[in-house]
Amino acid sequence: MSVSKMAYYPGCPSEGTAMDQDMSTKAVFEKLGVELVEMDDWNCCGAAEVEDPRLVYALNARNLAIAEKEGLDIVTPCSICYYNLERSNQALKADEDLRTKVKGIDNSLGYNGKIRAKHVLDVFMNDVGQDELKSKMSKKLNIKVAPYYGCYLGRPRETAFDDPDDPVLMDRLIELAGGEVVPFSQTKTLCCGGPLMMTRSDIAFAMSRKILDAARSAGADCIALACPLCGMMLDGKQADIEKALNVTLGMPVVYITQLLGLALGIDAKKLGLNKNAVDTKELLGKVV
Amino acid sequence: MIKTWELDPSFKYEIMKEPGGEHITSCYQCSTCTIGCPITELVPDYNPRKIIQMSLLGMRNEVLTSPDLWICLICQTCTARCPQDVRISDLLGAIRRIAEKEAEAGKLKIDSSRPLFDKAFQHQLEKHGRLYDMGLAMEYYPKKEGSFISGMKAMMKDYKDFGMRMFKKGKMGPKAMLPVKVKDRTVIKKIFEEMGEK
Ligand code: SF4
Ligand code: SF4
Repeated sequence: MSVSKMAYYPGCPSEGTAMDQDMSTKAVFEKLGVELVEMDDWNCCGAAEVEDPRLVYALNARNLAIAEKEGLDIVTPCSICYYNLERSNQALKADEDLRTKVKGIDNSLGYNGKIRAKHVLDVFMNDVGQDELKSKMSKKLNIKVAPYYGCYLGRPRETAFDDPDDPVLMDRLIELAGGEVVPFSQTKTLCCGGPLMMTRSDIAFAMSRKILDAARSAGADCIALACPLCGMMLDGKQADIEKALNVTLGMPVVYITQLLGLALGIDAKKLGLNKNAVDTKELLGKVV
Repeated sequence: MIKTWELDPSFKYEIMKEPGGEHITSCYQCSTCTIGCPITELVPDYNPRKIIQMSLLGMRNEVLTSPDLWICLICQTCTARCPQDVRISDLLGAIRRIAEKEAEAGKLKIDSSRPLFDKAFQHQLEKHGRLYDMGLAMEYYPKKEGSFISGMKAMMKDYKDFGMRMFKKGKMGPKAMLPVKVKDRTVIKKIFEEMGEK
């Protein structure tokens, strides 16, 4: 295992709608023997709402500099945070003028390009590694899972760590834990609609419904995902989608960190599995 | 019908100056972006290739007032597939920023509440350094609905069930009513002053 300590960037929803993702991330890394040091005074990455790249780079220069001071690479469970942190990292690394300009705003934005940002899935599969994961797993997941990747893990190219059209890392992780991956390749990388939730909920709901429907027709027991915005749409808003579109979905949705945690034998409560909006009890019965 | 005398041939250069818009002239109109776009699948008239073509032709006003600009999911599917590396997802963002600036200057009207939402988000970030959902909703809804009362009504409608659901799961306690603040907020303010568009 090539990693023992990382700077942890939880992302804004970690204290609210995605606290289950935060809890399970911490619990899993603890079990894997990787120390997470929460970054001191981190700020929002800009999410999808700060569209000006210059602003995104400057906001994240501060975050990157905080971790660089500790000499640690950053890990985050959020796809959007990952995308913003790592594209800022690459832009700042490649452009000395940009680094100088950003540092000119305030010394605390002085980043030297010495670290990088990673998504938890990348760290699990490529840094911790499959052998190490397998050796620490004590339970088998008798669960049929629809692996949902969403947008920023496989695209755009510069920051991607999986295939843009048919990503596989989550599939492998689920299989490693004894789970069954249902056929889902047409839907895996479809956007959840989240960025339009507040302004065009009709479109956002229609997008999410496609994913939930596809998981249902594939016979999945649950969807696994790796982003708090996807989680909010597919899990948190699922009942709103059912009501607005007059459909019954009833599809449990869990973070990949929660599933991995179950395979590692971690207590369901410690993984926040009582906090998912759609009940997860049935899944827990299938962990043996 | 296109009125050639109303075209603005410099529009593409205006876009290219905006970060994200640099590659617009590489587009050779193959439609790969549009064929794979999840919004086009739902809204058949939505056509990113056409937005690019109209921009290249200089149909400045039509592009900047198009409601289609505001239903892009920034999902990067088009960017990942474009054979010419046009970076459509970022390009549309660049065009949206030009439209926002023009709207703020009173030169055009945007037929979408998304600029209001993005601005409200940025205000929260500028103030606290973190996202503060409550503050965001309290700014966004009244602006979107035109008055405080109707804003609060719309907010209740969207959030009543969801809020209760989250509350029951312990995800929206009294703590969520207050913002989590970054300690060093003067730096965040400075970032917005130096890099942001005012
Ligand atoms: S895929 Fe690229 S080259 Fe083809 S139409 Fe779209 S932007 Fe133009
Ligand atoms: S980024 Fe926008 S235009 Fe491109 S594929 Fe996604 S929704 Fe369509």
